[in-house]
Amino acid sequence: MFVDTVIEDKSLHKPAFLLGLSIAVFAFFFAFNFTDTIFGEFLSPVIGNPQESGFFGRFVVSFVLSIIFVLNLLLISFTRLKIQILIVWIELFFLFLAFAYSFDLELAYIFIGEPSKIWLMISKGLFTTIYISAVSIAIATAIAIVGAIAKLSNNGFAYAIASFYTSLFRGLPLLLQIYLIYMGLPQLGFMIDAIPSGIAALSLCYGAYMTEIFRAGIQSIPKGQWEASRALGFKFGLILRKIILPQSIPIIVPPTGNQFIAMLKDSSLVSVLGIWELMFMAKKIGAKDFNNLEMLLTAAMIYWALTIVLEVIQARIERKYQQKA
Amino acid sequence: MSIKLGFTKSSIAFAVALLSLNMTVQAGAVYDYIKTNNELMIATDANWAPYSYINDAGEMEGFDVDVGREIAKRMGVEARFITPSWDIITSGNWNMRWDVSVGSMTPTETRSEVLNFPAVYYYTPAGFAVHTDSPITTLAGLNGKNVCTTAASTWEMYLEGSLDMIDAPAFTYKVTPGTITSLADGHTCLDDTRLGAGVRNDGIIDSIPMIQGAIEDGYPIRFLGDPAFFEPLSVATDKGNDDPELDAEIARIIADMKKDYTLTMMSMKWFKNADGSSNDYTIAF
Repeated sequence: MFVDTVIEDKSLHKPAFLLGLSIAVFAFFFAFNFTDTIFGEFLSPVIGNPQESGFFGRFVVSFVLSIIFVLNLLLISFTRLKIQILIVWIELFFLFLAFAYSFDLELAYIFIGEPSKIWLMISKGLFTTIYISAVSIAIATAIAIVGAIAKLSNNGFAYAIASFYTSLFRGLPLLLQIYLIYMGLPQLGFMIDAIPSGIAALSLCYGAYMTEIFRAGIQSIPKGQWEASRALGFKFGLILRKIILPQSIPIIVPPTGNQFIAMLKDSSLVSVLGIWELMFMAKKIGAKDFNNLEMLLTAAMIYWALTIVLEVIQARIERKYQQKA
Repeated sequence: MSIKLGFTKSSIAFAVALLSLNMTVQAGAVYDYIKTNNELMIATDANWAPYSYINDAGEMEGFDVDVGREIAKRMGVEARFITPSWDIITSGNWNMRWDVSVGSMTPTETRSEVLNFPAVYYYTPAGFAVHTDSPITTLAGLNGKNVCTTAASTWEMYLEGSLDMIDAPAFTYKVTPGTITSLADGHTCLDDTRLGAGVRNDGIIDSIPMIQGAIEDGYPIRFLGDPAFFEPLSVATDKGNDDPELDAEIARIIADMKKDYTLTMMSMKWFKNADGSSNDYTIAF
């Protein structure tokens, strides 16, 4: 937490803490009786038949599990920070897999067939999802820059339009916006297809959120920067491009990255318009064979992988600007 | 801090953009449009085996899809399928996004306010089903219980007691549920029923072939009582873009397809019973 060079002892290496933790973990495992699970099977040479082992079996299973758990923590704590992070990630990931596996699903279903179901999802759905998100992200960013400048201007019309826009589009549920644009605009005689209406709704909604982020980022730059630039005779565009924006970008990047990730996932909402993107394919492919949950799980993993890519990119950009600062 | 901006130019551009929105869609002449584009845009559900669904190759398939293809073929144009959600299709005002719905839609008084129904092409039985462990054995047993179905469907109207079908075989309301759980996708009802009797619902109502498919796939559900009602199912066109020529053409094609038994063959192909026998749903019972 502290960004200084004072190094404290790890609490895990204090005997009192270790003992307290062990007792707490043991109590947890004891409360949630794991005797009937695979762990009970594993310990059956000691406790006999897990079903009939009773209090003794429950005690032994909880004891062994808590020892394993605490030892695992202790061992990890001796490694370097990067390795610690890696090991904990891998362990959590396997726990998640075990959790999904315990649903008792026909997971092989995802990979059977020619073409396989997962390939069908990737080939028919993934491209559309990425395409819709990428276009929406680009448009939303453009809207956000214009919106932020308008919100900071002293032109009454510009400010009114921009603030009305952000208020309206932040105030309506995205799903409702999608319906309004898809079903409402044709009533005005302006025909718009499913994909363009999805992109319009996503861009407008996220443009409104990002307008606020950009505005706050620009506003956080001290007034003196503007005054000094102006005193040197720079024009508005030049001040914004070369002096203000470069300083506000490190502030803007983290929340904007969040918005991109959120938009990627919210693009699943346009599936209501019958666009064959990831979510739509996930809902429909498994339906014929009544294997819905398998395909939903697949879609979950694909979305997750996509957001991890975005997270990595965001982290890189952040690091780049941190070094500069 | 403030930023000054001249907005004169952009506000003019904005006004021009608004004016250009004011063009209107050509009314009528849908059939001409289909012919010129050489393409019949057909709206149908993508999640409703065996009527219309996405097959293993990732393409649309099913009874409705076959019927739609045949209609397009007899018009001499290509068929293209589009899969909006059911409530968007039934709410009308398609604005020529698609030309017809070949999606097993039942003509009702309410729907006919926004849609035209040029031709009924078959009838399908709707029935109730419950979890195999359910204590309920008669239709009356579902009275006051929680019944699940698709939102904006005829089954939902039946449960509400407001089913206003046009030209339908006579029927009576046999069930008065206590709660109606309406989900956007009828499939979710089946998944809820699978969890156990009375967990998320006490029973469901859906088309009998659909329930049949679920049973064959190992869902722990069983039919309850006789079919609740037979619904006529029709091709639908948009009333907002009324085109009598298109409606007449569809009516003629469906009549021909009945006459030369094309529809019967399709029905026999897609609607099989558990014992392997086929159903001809082109006749009402």
